[in-house]
Amino acid sequence: MAMKPEEVLRVIAAARGSAIVVPTMTTAPAWRTIAPDDLSVTCVGFMGGASSMGLGLALARPDRRVVVLDGDGSLLMQLGSLATSAGAGARNFVHLLFKNGVYHTSGAQHIPGGLTVDFAMMARAAGYRVTCAIRDLDEFRGRFPELLKAEGPVFAELHTGLAEQTPMTARGGVPFHEQVETLRARLLRPRAAA
Amino acid sequence: MPESIPASLIIDTLKDTFREARAALAAEVAEPPQHAHLGWILSVPDTHQKTVLAALDKEEAIRVVTCATEDEATAVAAGLHMGGEPVVLMIQHAGLYASINTLRGVAMDGKVPMFYMIGLLSREKDRDPRESRHSMVRYCEPLLDTFGVPHARLEGPDDVHLIPEYYRLSRARRGPAAVLVGLETA
Repeated sequence: MAMKPEEVLRVIAAARGSAIVVPTMTTAPAWRTIAPDDLSVTCVGFMGGASSMGLGLALARPDRRVVVLDGDGSLLMQLGSLATSAGAGARNFVHLLFKNGVYHTSGAQHIPGGLTVDFAMMARAAGYRVTCAIRDLDEFRGRFPELLKAEGPVFAELHTGLAEQTPMTARGGVPFHEQVETLRARLLRPRAAA
Repeated sequence: MPESIPASLIIDTLKDTFREARAALAAEVAEPPQHAHLGWILSVPDTHQKTVLAALDKEEAIRVVTCATEDEATAVAAGLHMGGEPVVLMIQHAGLYASINTLRGVAMDGKVPMFYMIGLLSREKDRDPRESRHSMVRYCEPLLDTFGVPHARLEGPDDVHLIPEYYRLSRARRGPAAVLVGLETA
């Protein structure tokens, strides 16, 4: 049975430590409830950009882990980013793909290829150092800590069902530009706040 | 008439621009990043800037990430910005057209400073770009105008001061700014 996205996110929240997290699309509403902190920045409004934004953070901050919560429809929008992320070789980059086979936010239309697309194989072929597919929550709970510590780039394809909420059913949240400023301030500590 | 700009002049100007950006950040924040390099170039290879990109391969002070698309380059730049790293994007006009939604979503809505060097491939020496026979040249400045992106033409060695100026402008306005590279660099 497919994992519930919210349960996967709770495992990530419990184990992430000081990792920066970049959710997108259907992981975004649940993540802001489960982990309402200032070490996350959501990719909204430029679908497919989560892994690239996470890559930039990982390159800028090699002292921290960066965990991207990507979607299968999103990744297909910028599939070349697999090669870019792998080529950049960020060892602190952890790319988690929530695979549900549909564009949930826009009405659950099937993605091209549906559930048959093997993203873990694509990531391996692109050059990710560690790749795997996980179908079971207990397995994910057991493996996530090691994936978080592994020398990256790391890619895990997570077989999940549909989230309870999408950005269309749970609107709101902190505007993107405020998230950008908040995370930047958290990482750099402006002198006035230091 | 546009003139070619030596790659070495552009690279020296980029280094100065990055040094200035790091000094400004150090004055602003308590924990500026400490790296051996000065800054980052995010590139989707551009014919007009190929001699610069070739010379950057030998530069240790500037790190280069080649991206598969300009969408990726723009999003990577946002991440680097949040981490305090100075970034310049080197792309081509066709890539600007391809990635305009990401420019809007990241640099404009996200208020992320984003400085682009955009090659005007096929720009004719004897003709204003807005009157080019080639649509990819002709529409570049009007597209930037439509999105309210300030821009200037880099038409010769005397214009390299526009690089730090428009880089600073992108920081000051917390959004995109661009210089358009008129001819192939030398």
